[in-house]
Amino acid sequence: MLIRTEELTKSYDLGAAEVRALRGVTFGIEEGEYVAIMGPSGSGKSTLMHILGCLDTPSTGRYFLNGTEVSELHGRELARVRNKEIGFVFQNFNLLPRVDLVANVALPLVYHGGMNRAERRKQAVRALESVGLGHRLKHRPNELSGGERQRASIARALVTEPSILLADEPTGNLDQKTGREIMGILDELSKAGKTVILVTHDSNVAAHARRTVEIEDGTIAREGRA
Amino acid sequence: MNLLESVGAGARDMASHKGRAVITIIGIVLGTASVVAVLSLMRGGEKQTEDFFDEMGGLRELRITNTHSHTLFQTAAERASERLTYRDAQAIRRACPSVLTVDPEITRYLTVSYGDKTFRMKVLGTNRDYPHADNMPVAEGRFISDKDCENYANVIMMGPTYKEDLFGDEEAIGKTITLEGIPFEVVGIMTKKEFYFEGSGGSERNVLEWFNRSHYIPITTMIRRFTVNDRLDGLEISAVSVEAVPALIEEANRVLLRRHGVEDFNVESKSEQIQQRNDQEAFFNIIFWAVAFVSLFVGGVVIANIMLASITERIREIGVRKAIGASGRDVFVQFVVEALVVTASGGAFGLLLGLGLVTITDRVLNMPTEVTPAILVIAFGCSVAVGVIFGLFPAIRAARLDPVEALRYQ
Repeated sequence: MLIRTEELTKSYDLGAAEVRALRGVTFGIEEGEYVAIMGPSGSGKSTLMHILGCLDTPSTGRYFLNGTEVSELHGRELARVRNKEIGFVFQNFNLLPRVDLVANVALPLVYHGGMNRAERRKQAVRALESVGLGHRLKHRPNELSGGERQRASIARALVTEPSILLADEPTGNLDQKTGREIMGILDELSKAGKTVILVTHDSNVAAHARRTVEIEDGTIAREGRA
Repeated sequence: MNLLESVGAGARDMASHKGRAVITIIGIVLGTASVVAVLSLMRGGEKQTEDFFDEMGGLRELRITNTHSHTLFQTAAERASERLTYRDAQAIRRACPSVLTVDPEITRYLTVSYGDKTFRMKVLGTNRDYPHADNMPVAEGRFISDKDCENYANVIMMGPTYKEDLFGDEEAIGKTITLEGIPFEVVGIMTKKEFYFEGSGGSERNVLEWFNRSHYIPITTMIRRFTVNDRLDGLEISAVSVEAVPALIEEANRVLLRRHGVEDFNVESKSEQIQQRNDQEAFFNIIFWAVAFVSLFVGGVVIANIMLASITERIREIGVRKAIGASGRDVFVQFVVEALVVTASGGAFGLLLGLGLVTITDRVLNMPTEVTPAILVIAFGCSVAVGVIFGLFPAIRAARLDPVEALRYQ
């Protein structure tokens, strides 16, 4: 089991009221699975994604990633796990605007350590070529179309060869045709054995996954397999 | 990420935010340059003051003068006193352990002739201590010696201006001139003493020229040939060190009081001048540090401000960096290094600009300046220190940003 959670909860203390974003989530994801986490806004799916992506820690409950209990980790250790195990693909791409694609994609390797600049760039170029951006290496994000930006963001997510690809509404800012292209890339990656987790409210997107987990009101409401 | 890489990354990052980098660097450049320029100007002024005091004469000197008392109300003891005499000077030399030089002076205006030239010139009767006491080196020949005094020798040391008046370019040493008809052999010529102050309208005046307009003969010869007694016009003595000045004051007072029987003399140190010099120095030091502190503090506030603004502008970027694996420490190092890169390069340009400003003030405005290595080190060191110190707070803020919040930030 690549991911295993036990009774994850997350509460936010907003002074007057306590908001319980997660109320006990227990589930697992096998290596190589293609899973969609679904739910309307406010359901807690974003909170769950943040915890799965090690950007946040649960209030209670346990989270094992690749055999390590990451719910016990903090700060630097958590940053290391994000760097090595998780590749993020964001709805709004989140590329650094002022540097070219190679520098953007090489960035996770900078924090990875143990590689010199030339090696990092070489690996970044390989990742960009794998998503079909070999001709755009020296371009800055604002010189590219939305689809190209999202492909660059996928390349950046893949460059450290993480265990999990975590895509948060990857087609949310794209037109339908481009969205299909991006989903095609994710499908390919899944086929190649990568564990892919989609976080979306769009059932068309979720349909690409082979398993869906629906979150409502902070808990798992339904699970289904394609 | 090691430090070298961080510096490289910081430099590249600054290069990719040219506008921001340029504004920050201009701030630091101006700050550093103004520190260099102001400090050099002040150091120049301080140096000029010090030089003046040093050139004027050592601070170890004491001046002994007769006190004035009204003839009508003189006491018997006062009437009996011979006032300051050459014998007093000899007694001080014998009896004061803290004394280094004793320089008795009798001044007369005498008719001096050489060939067909005749002038009335100021002649000082003194002894071998005069050049030491007044910090006056000999240019040619020798000064009056103890032997000259013992032998009542008819020898004369010429002031440089008078030497020119009498001899022009002609060799003077060994020649004989007459004082009131008495032949004297020229044994030496004093060095020209110069200290120029700029007068009004750009004319320069040598404020020490009066030193150059004197002749010197042995005081014993002066007493025997040209005066009726050995009363002195002035007595200057100097202590073995500045620290020994108070001791010498006491010793001289004791010796003179015993000889005169009444306190009809006054021993003055140049304490006022010493005080003045120290005050000047303290004043310059205060201004020095105040200016350095204010300029760099302003520079620092500018850095902190721009960095804080740049962090707000870059919250998303920080979120992304954290999401892909940057730890708080990585982000902290990134921001501190950026501040360092900016301030160090700004500091370096600032030094160059500062040196340029100093050259301009020196050449064009004709103001005295002095650049010391300390000034350059202080200016550069402080600008870098300011960068780090004022970069810390924004860097800590950046490092502590919550990645989830940062990614959500619009």
